[in-house]
Amino acid sequence: MNKKPIGNMGIYLFLLCLCFQVTFAFGDKKQETRSKRLFAVNGGDSSFVGMTIKQSIITGTVSDAHGGLPGVTVSVKNKPVSTITNENGQFSIAAEVGDVLVFSYIGYAAVTVTVDSRRVYDVIMQEDATTLKEVTVNAGYYTVKDKELTGSISKITSKELEKQPVTNVLAAMQGRMAGVDIIQDGGTAGGGFQIKIRGVNSLRADGNSPLYIIDGVPYSSESIGYASINSGMASPTSPLNSINPSDIESIEVLKDADATAIYGSRGANGVVLLTTKKGKVGRTKITVNATSGTGKATRFIDLMHTEQYLAMRKDGFAKDNITTYPASAYDVNGTWDQNRYTDWQKELLGGTAEFKNLNVSVSGGSAQTQYLLSGTTNTETAVIPGDFRYRKAAGHFSMNHAGEDNRFKLALSGGYTKQFNKQSTTDLTRLARNLAPNAPALYTADGELNWENNTFSNPLALLRGYSTVKTNDLIANVTLNYALTPKWEIKANMGYTNLDNHEQRLQPSSINNPSLNISSSSSLLYENVTTRESTIIEPQIRWADSFGKGKLDILVGGTAQKQTTGRLYTLGQGFASNSLITNMASANNKFVLASDVTEYKYQAFFGRVNYNYNDKYIVNLTGRRDGSSRFGPGKQFAYFGAAGAAWVFTNETSLKNSSWLSFGKLRASYGTTGNDQIGDYQYLNTYASSGQAYQGITGLEPTRLFNPEFGWEKSTKLEVALETGFLSDRIVLTTAFYRNRSSNQLVGVPLSGTTGFSSINANLDATVQNQGLEITVHTDNLRGKNLRWSTNVTIATARNKLISFPGLETSTYANTYVVGEPITIVKLYQYKGVNAQTGLFEFADLNGDGIINAAGDKHYVADLTPKYFGGFQNQLKYKNWDLDFLFQFVKQQTYNYTPGSANGTFFNQSTDYANVWQQSGDMAAYQMNTSGANSAAVTAFSRYTASDAIIVDGSYIRLKNIALTYTVPLKYKTMNCKLTVQGQNVLTFTNYKGGDPEFRATGFLPPLRVITGGVQLSF
Amino acid sequence: MKSIILLRMPLVRLALAVLGYALLMANQSCDNFVEVDRPNSQLIGKTVFEDMTTATAAMSGLYAKLRGSGPLAGNGLGVSALAGMYADELDYYQTGNINFYNNSLIAAEAGNAALWNNTYHQIYEANSIIEGLNNSTTLPVAGRDQLLGESLFVRATLHFYLVNLYGDVPYITTTDYIANSHVSRTPTATVYTLIQSDLEQAISLLPESYVTAERVRPNKFAAYAMLARVCLYRGAYAEASNAASTVLNSPLYVWEPDLNKVFVKNSTTTIWQFSPAANGNNTSEGNLFIFTAGPPANVALRNDFVGAFEANDQRKAKWTKAVTNGANTWYHAYKYKQQASTPSSMEYSVVLRLAEQVLIRAEARARLGELTNAKADLDLIRITAGLLPTTAVSQSDLIAEILNQRRFELFTEFGNRFFDLKRSGLADTVLPTVKTGWSPTDKLWPIPANELVINPNLNPQNPGY
Repeated sequence: MNKKPIGNMGIYLFLLCLCFQVTFAFGDKKQETRSKRLFAVNGGDSSFVGMTIKQSIITGTVSDAHGGLPGVTVSVKNKPVSTITNENGQFSIAAEVGDVLVFSYIGYAAVTVTVDSRRVYDVIMQEDATTLKEVTVNAGYYTVKDKELTGSISKITSKELEKQPVTNVLAAMQGRMAGVDIIQDGGTAGGGFQIKIRGVNSLRADGNSPLYIIDGVPYSSESIGYASINSGMASPTSPLNSINPSDIESIEVLKDADATAIYGSRGANGVVLLTTKKGKVGRTKITVNATSGTGKATRFIDLMHTEQYLAMRKDGFAKDNITTYPASAYDVNGTWDQNRYTDWQKELLGGTAEFKNLNVSVSGGSAQTQYLLSGTTNTETAVIPGDFRYRKAAGHFSMNHAGEDNRFKLALSGGYTKQFNKQSTTDLTRLARNLAPNAPALYTADGELNWENNTFSNPLALLRGYSTVKTNDLIANVTLNYALTPKWEIKANMGYTNLDNHEQRLQPSSINNPSLNISSSSSLLYENVTTRESTIIEPQIRWADSFGKGKLDILVGGTAQKQTTGRLYTLGQGFASNSLITNMASANNKFVLASDVTEYKYQAFFGRVNYNYNDKYIVNLTGRRDGSSRFGPGKQFAYFGAAGAAWVFTNETSLKNSSWLSFGKLRASYGTTGNDQIGDYQYLNTYASSGQAYQGITGLEPTRLFNPEFGWEKSTKLEVALETGFLSDRIVLTTAFYRNRSSNQLVGVPLSGTTGFSSINANLDATVQNQGLEITVHTDNLRGKNLRWSTNVTIATARNKLISFPGLETSTYANTYVVGEPITIVKLYQYKGVNAQTGLFEFADLNGDGIINAAGDKHYVADLTPKYFGGFQNQLKYKNWDLDFLFQFVKQQTYNYTPGSANGTFFNQSTDYANVWQQSGDMAAYQMNTSGANSAAVTAFSRYTASDAIIVDGSYIRLKNIALTYTVPLKYKTMNCKLTVQGQNVLTFTNYKGGDPEFRATGFLPPLRVITGGVQLSF
Repeated sequence: MKSIILLRMPLVRLALAVLGYALLMANQSCDNFVEVDRPNSQLIGKTVFEDMTTATAAMSGLYAKLRGSGPLAGNGLGVSALAGMYADELDYYQTGNINFYNNSLIAAEAGNAALWNNTYHQIYEANSIIEGLNNSTTLPVAGRDQLLGESLFVRATLHFYLVNLYGDVPYITTTDYIANSHVSRTPTATVYTLIQSDLEQAISLLPESYVTAERVRPNKFAAYAMLARVCLYRGAYAEASNAASTVLNSPLYVWEPDLNKVFVKNSTTTIWQFSPAANGNNTSEGNLFIFTAGPPANVALRNDFVGAFEANDQRKAKWTKAVTNGANTWYHAYKYKQQASTPSSMEYSVVLRLAEQVLIRAEARARLGELTNAKADLDLIRITAGLLPTTAVSQSDLIAEILNQRRFELFTEFGNRFFDLKRSGLADTVLPTVKTGWSPTDKLWPIPANELVINPNLNPQNPGY
């Protein structure tokens, strides 16, 4: 089947091994002198030769207010010598008189000591909040200090993550990063998220996902399950659920060209780098973290009560001149009790979900080797009736080792996650909103499901159909690092992911009314097994040197990645008994609906050149050549690149001692990135099994409309940003302006049904622009001994615009897009109100042809892109108390809740529909009721739901997260105990009446309000 | 520590290794890395039509689709159900397609859009097979002709339903998506000409005998049967009569006097039927129509329809069934007796059957003035149903009685009733008396709104939407 992918992969492995083998084989004593000489000649400023001659061993202890400080980096300035303090804060390093020792530790002010004749130095370090800019930022292939950064990277750390009771890392990012727009697709456990980094670049709805990288290993975010199996959710299972938030140390989001161009083709929508937790130098530390809590649906819609509802129904029939209620109108014809009332939203969605989380970790290590081992279990139940739950168990392992001279480094990390999710295949939200308020009781007096003499489709019966999803996910990564010389470093990063997803959808005959006589011979079992395996290897060489005041850093590397996805989707029909339904072998008939293996191969070379002159002027060039198997022959390769520059103007002598301006940097970047999220094999004209048999022959069907011509999509990104720190960095303000333009877009061009398909993949000669402003402000408001208060504010505006689209008028997009308008627009009818004479909704005849129809008049443009959005985060510390809270705010227009059917039909309606037109001359908010027989009213209603009348203000301010922590004072210094109360989606301030304003998939359960309490103990 | 040894590595060798690595990276062979073989589950389009087995599998895939979606599907999405409730055959007890039942279709109607899209998708598949066969040089001539005839027959049949539901519709004969995405509506008369031409070509290509043991793949007579219907609809009565006679004269088809045996899988009156997805499966129609307790869950025959059967009409006794809960009585179609699976399949969905040919010829003859022959055909139907020969004598009475027999013979079969009302000009007389929501513009269904948005050439929309 495969040509020899292993062979190619093998070459890389072989080469890498070769590098090391050669080293070991020839690294004997004879070579020693020569190589030293060579290093000396080549080395310039540093001197290995001299090391053994003049230097002596310096020892000492580093401590802070609490005692010995482990993990402090001790280095000799301008020399490639460094070490880390051990678990007691002690260190030992070779240095000579006149050398400068630099002690650095994140969160502490650096200390420098000049070596004199003494051999022992004890150093005390002070915690320092002003070192924000010293923070190292992970840029993927390299790390860079925040202050030297030329690109745009947002970061959150485990500190923020651990304060949120969430199971998906994307949930934890909401509102905390400027320009990163995240929406949860529903309140059902295990559901997906939508993430947009700096707006929508692609016209293709599914082409806007960022690239996720976990510890250097790309992690595919393409959904695994079949939407038809997980039908109870707004979007298929997100593979990102496999990432356990409590195992994450930091999340970096790469946004501009400078940061993302090194990811070339896959960086167009931004890159999300997830770094897992690592062990720290120090004694063995055990941490136990247990939380539990509850979740409830956030908001419901005001729906009609029985009296109001029946009045509407009866009026509907009256308006239709129907005097005898039809036999099937059970709600009004006397079949159902007309005095009954049930609040179906409360009844079906008003339950309480339980959240439980337990995390245990063991970590520690010496200066050379550190380790971390952690285990997490997580359970979440559902708000709908029945035994539905989500369970997760995750193990994470990390080991770091460095040779004594810190030249050879090895990092190993691995995570294994097991998930089990059992959810209803029907989301009851829509039903709960549509059911007549006088619909009968769910249960009979005997506790059986009530079918009310076959007149009531009992919603609880639907819950007998459910899906179970079992996912096992392994992510492993090894990084080998070797400093050949002080200037040369080689590195190899190897990663492996293996995802195994087994899902079943059960549709037992018992979901039906028993009087239908549907036996288990009609029960169905859908089963899908997906395995996705990927390997990546990235050898890299880095060279760095200083010339006077300048520093040059060059990185060259390559990537070879292969991903194989196999799936087997089967259907079993008919079982001897419904109790056998989970077993495919027991099915009377079995059909293979899909069975295939897809392969994705990706190969690239990348490089980076960074020049830093005196920490004042920094230039960063990155480039990449990419090849992807997703394109046809001749279209597989493309080049991407970017240039970034920064000017740290506070390092200019004139500003160096400014009392108010502590930091100032102006940076800009420009470059190109691409996108290959188009799916595999799309350029091939093929037939595949349709999974449907005819005369026992399994049919073949054309797989797609194919286009062998499509190629890379490219985005150019421009960014200019000003980073400033005032009053010793007590106020840090970053303002960034960006403009991204993507062209040659790879899209599924919508086609009319007459072509036989709904779309075709092609490059479109259209240019889409996203531009916006991102502002982040960090302030240290109070820095008292007992009381500390700091604030983070992020705010982003985003404006999307279709710049050009040659041939738009004749394309299939003619009625969808407008040049100069955003691509996120929706075209709607323009609502004129209720006609006082006809009593029907009226719409503007925009093209003046006297007829209202979609093609001619659905041209009113509404933009649903948020005008601005952001977060307002506060951290307060008073003695042993910590309070953190985050408000998320969004200014946007959104769809109002739209009922499933016209007012007056057998559907409950929001209470707004009490104000309907009754007679000629009425000025009413809503049109006349109809039982459904008035075609004109039904049509007008359907246009109403596609008109600007349902676009309303959906802005909101939400207390997204609040966490109160109390650190229990304990006698033993090594012990630490914290009690926390956390809340998610706690309060929402909005004028929106259509349910939850954050959430846009109507008919599905919105995100839950979750409150948990927890204990964290470490010793 | 080993890294100490690493230190001692000669730089020259390192440089060589780096150079070698760099060379390798730049090497052409690396570019091959991103080449993948075709997926193991897919066949390159061209190779499908180099072999009878795979070419037949492509045809089988199309039949399986016809069985499950589009106009011929026997489930709630097909024309039997939708046109049945749209006209005066069925009552509807669900909500999803309530606008069909209320004659309040909207342009954006989901069920209507699905029907349109599924039908054109099936037409695409037929065209894809036709093109594959035309380009194939390796298939045996007989096999190639058989498949070509079948796909032309399918293409014509699908367009027949489109033109009757939507009026002027694009007649699609290519897989070229660029052309197909800008098509305009073809005038109804031209659509009929093209249908007829496809059917005539199919007749010339298809053999008289069925290609397999069961009548599940169309033969020459299936194409004649379809042609007879098409000619009747367009008023070419002599041609309709002749085509129907060709079918009726074939020894393959033997009249079945027992009404309970007409819809069993080995019925001698079946011209074309669908093979089920698996052995033991019965028809979607049986599953959809039959209910055992009231009120019905999905559809039921209208009581006024059941009440209109002539006294002693055995079709009422054998093809409908009453269900009562004591207070109310409902009826369901009972042509197919099996609601669910049986150990071995007993019934297949019958798409074309002999009785329709008898009625087509009766009507064609009546309209041509061959009243005696017309009466003979009509009486065959009446007598089989347990009725006395007709008392109608005049041409108009005979035609009226033939249409009446069509109503009771072909009920819940692929929209025959709805189409008969329309072509006979009776829709606006009959339907307003039983359907409160009926208006004259309801005779055509709307072109899906989204189609007009994507392809403005399909304008204008049908009136009333």
